[in-house]
Amino acid sequence: MRFLRVFFFVAAACAFLAAVLAHRPIRAAESPVTWSRQIAPIVYRNCATCHHPGGGGPFSLLSYQDARRRAPQILDVTQSRYMPPWLPEPGYGDFADQRRLSNEDLALIRKWVESGTPEGNPAEAPPAPHYDATWQMGKPDLILSVERPYTLAASGTDVFRNFILPYPLAQTHYIRAMEILPAVPQIVHHANVLIDRTASFRRQHPGDWKNGVPGMELELDAGNTFDPDSHFLFWKPDTPVLVEPEGMPWRLDPGNDLILNMHLKPSGKPETMSAQIGLYFASQPATKQPMLLQLEDDRDLDIPPGVHNFVVQDQLTLPVDVDALGIYPHAHYLGKILEGWATLPDGRRKWLIRIPSWDIDRQSVYRYREPVYLPRGTVLHMRYVYDNSDDNIHNPNSPPIRVRAGNRSVDEMAHLWLQVLPVNVPPGSPDPRLLLEVAWMRRRLEKQPDDSIAGYNLASALASLGRYSEAETAYEKLLSRRPDDVRVMNGLGAAFEDAGDPEAAERVFTQALSIDPHGCDARFNLASVEVRQSHFQDAEHQLRTMLQDCPADAAAHCGLGVALAGEGDNAAAASEFQSALHMDPHNFTALYQLGEIAIASGQPQQAVSLLEDASRTRPGDVDTRERLAMALAQSGRPDDALAQLREAEHLAPDNANLHSLLSQLLAESGQLRQAIEEQTRALALQPDDADGWNNLGVLEARTGSLDAARTDFRRALQLAPGHQQARANLDRLSPH
Amino acid sequence: MVLRAIVVLLCCVPTAAWAAQPLATDLKGDPVNRLAAAGARAVVLFFAASDCPISNRYIPEIERLDRAYSPDGVRFWWVYPNPTDTQGVVRSHDAQFDIQGNIALDTEQRLTHMAHATITPEVAIFVPSGDQLREVYRGRIDNRYLSLGQERPQATRHDLEDAIRAVLAGKPVPEPGGPPVGCSIVPRSLP
Repeated sequence: MRFLRVFFFVAAACAFLAAVLAHRPIRAAESPVTWSRQIAPIVYRNCATCHHPGGGGPFSLLSYQDARRRAPQILDVTQSRYMPPWLPEPGYGDFADQRRLSNEDLALIRKWVESGTPEGNPAEAPPAPHYDATWQMGKPDLILSVERPYTLAASGTDVFRNFILPYPLAQTHYIRAMEILPAVPQIVHHANVLIDRTASFRRQHPGDWKNGVPGMELELDAGNTFDPDSHFLFWKPDTPVLVEPEGMPWRLDPGNDLILNMHLKPSGKPETMSAQIGLYFASQPATKQPMLLQLEDDRDLDIPPGVHNFVVQDQLTLPVDVDALGIYPHAHYLGKILEGWATLPDGRRKWLIRIPSWDIDRQSVYRYREPVYLPRGTVLHMRYVYDNSDDNIHNPNSPPIRVRAGNRSVDEMAHLWLQVLPVNVPPGSPDPRLLLEVAWMRRRLEKQPDDSIAGYNLASALASLGRYSEAETAYEKLLSRRPDDVRVMNGLGAAFEDAGDPEAAERVFTQALSIDPHGCDARFNLASVEVRQSHFQDAEHQLRTMLQDCPADAAAHCGLGVALAGEGDNAAAASEFQSALHMDPHNFTALYQLGEIAIASGQPQQAVSLLEDASRTRPGDVDTRERLAMALAQSGRPDDALAQLREAEHLAPDNANLHSLLSQLLAESGQLRQAIEEQTRALALQPDDADGWNNLGVLEARTGSLDAARTDFRRALQLAPGHQQARANLDRLSPH
Repeated sequence: MVLRAIVVLLCCVPTAAWAAQPLATDLKGDPVNRLAAAGARAVVLFFAASDCPISNRYIPEIERLDRAYSPDGVRFWWVYPNPTDTQGVVRSHDAQFDIQGNIALDTEQRLTHMAHATITPEVAIFVPSGDQLREVYRGRIDNRYLSLGQERPQATRHDLEDAIRAVLAGKPVPEPGGPPVGCSIVPRSLP
């Protein structure tokens, strides 16, 4: 069952893990400081990533001659810490891509310039780094280009513009790395890439999206699945390639758009740019699911003119253990001091970041060198200070005016994003990101009770957690304000259905369809209710109607497949599942159902392959492992089957059926004692299982424990007096 | 020719050493010997560097001022003092930025020394005074940049324009409100 979700986005991004080379201490006092020995290593490590031909910096610093010419300026900008760009205060978070020069480096640079910039022995200099003119990681698997070149005017204030790049493939891919080629890197301050799951932004701008759309921040519709934004996809000149950690690629589905949100700075001449995004595919889906959390206080952003220290704050209590992986503070031109910290359950304060002198032009995502562990009960804090006086030279208004929250550069923002990865998740517990979502949305509603997006997301998350009555209350509250909101009706209907009230669900979905007859979500949901009630022909009819409106919907093909299989037409069903797989090769339902069809049609080896793929997509799904074990057993691979069941048992130790299956497999391979153990466990969990007692009796009899066997058969007969096998078994054991 | 140039120029530098050599060269390599045509009321030197981003960002502003004040007898010069800004580099740069004005390659940095300029972008205003040119303003164009990394979204005080207006109005020329911000001019003594 689907549910719907809207996500208010500000900016996503992912700083790439810049390799920070170990700093080698250099003894400065003994010999003259030379380019070759001391300065070139500093420059190559900290400056050359931008200052190379074609890089984001205005000039190259790859040679001694380059550096010598620029020596007075190098001295100036390093001593003032204007270069390299680095905002966070040392000691307030340990970041992987730290670019701050050490005091020792600064002293060396000063000494070198003051002693006349000697070159030293060129043979001692390290080789200059090499930068590829195009893609740093080689040719990408997929290159997306903006629809039309954009021309930035020669002068004026900075420009914030959003370019939409539709994902053109008909298959889902996981992205392990991304590189942006902005074409004119010198004018790009930074860029964010957002994933628009539903192409909502493109639909908001049907006439002009190809030219790019102005604006700093966007509101996107995150679509029908709980699929929270998970990655910082952030570009700045010194980090052209974003490489995701192992196991954490991000996903692109057919119909998604990438939105390239760029901060551009006029150069003095008109600049025509055609940005490209290069994507590198991962071979496997993600095994770790991080999530972006946001602290914010836009509502309190109402800054009178002339005020120097306007404070806004927010906090959020974590409901689960997480590792914080990265952080992205964001304000506009009035931001002055940006702080984020965590108060741990024992009361200690752990700093997440502190920026003592904010500058929007130098904003960045910061990744922690090591994950920052934050146990459940930790309170995240944000505290931002704003300066709306004339003394703030970044102030876009002269004289200052009252400033509120908004997405133009003359408006303000107070956002702190944190990328977290839930850890210590007990087996069998619900998706911990849902608990984070509930905590986050509840916090938003505390701040702003009429926040309909938060209300919607909260209701959806509660429904996904199986807390249906809470979800229904939340949905009804939204409908009382917006009675014609089809999306809310879909959520409410889904909650009714999951709560076991299909009639109420059908009523709500039908009402939604009367408001919007082409609504694919409502029709899909209605069809789902019909499938669950085994009304397969009705479901087939709904889904065929829906596919006329939404032909590229993999879930609809899957649903149609399920309906057709229900009607007994496995061939037609398989064809629909294949269509879904063609659109989304990792579609779990299609893989699982095709596996089932293969088992049913006596092709266990094919079933193994399909169910293995399904299990890779959802490694924690016990049912899939169980079916896979069955297919393996039928393929003559009892040991592999046992391994799958053992893994499943580990995931769900209280699942009686698994213990029974294990018992059967063990018995078939002659391991009777272990088989008895497993069956005993199953019956401890499910003591009313007459078949189970009968099976246990058979095992006991085979090991010669005839008395125990008789007791088991009698127990089976007590539970089910008509149990013929138990009766026959007992008769066979009874002394004549 | 040299003699005639001296006679017409008459100006600028208090020492006589300049007289034997041109002040600067133009994009064809021909000497630039006179900055102010007869009747000019002021000369503005804009010290620029092809590879300095802040200098480049001011090009539209200088062009605006050139268009606005050349009818009043203000002569603008685009002066390139850095050794790497050779004829070819500047020609291609000016084509890219569509610069139409008078170009001076300050190959010996005579103009740089005459104006006491140290930064690109930086401007100097001279007014004819008898046979000489007298410097009445040197420094920043406006207050958009306060230092490297300290930048306003847009300028709120236009120092150069205020100075030009004062010159044209015959009023005392105000001092710039802050230092020029940009890239150091590279001394010619370096290779």
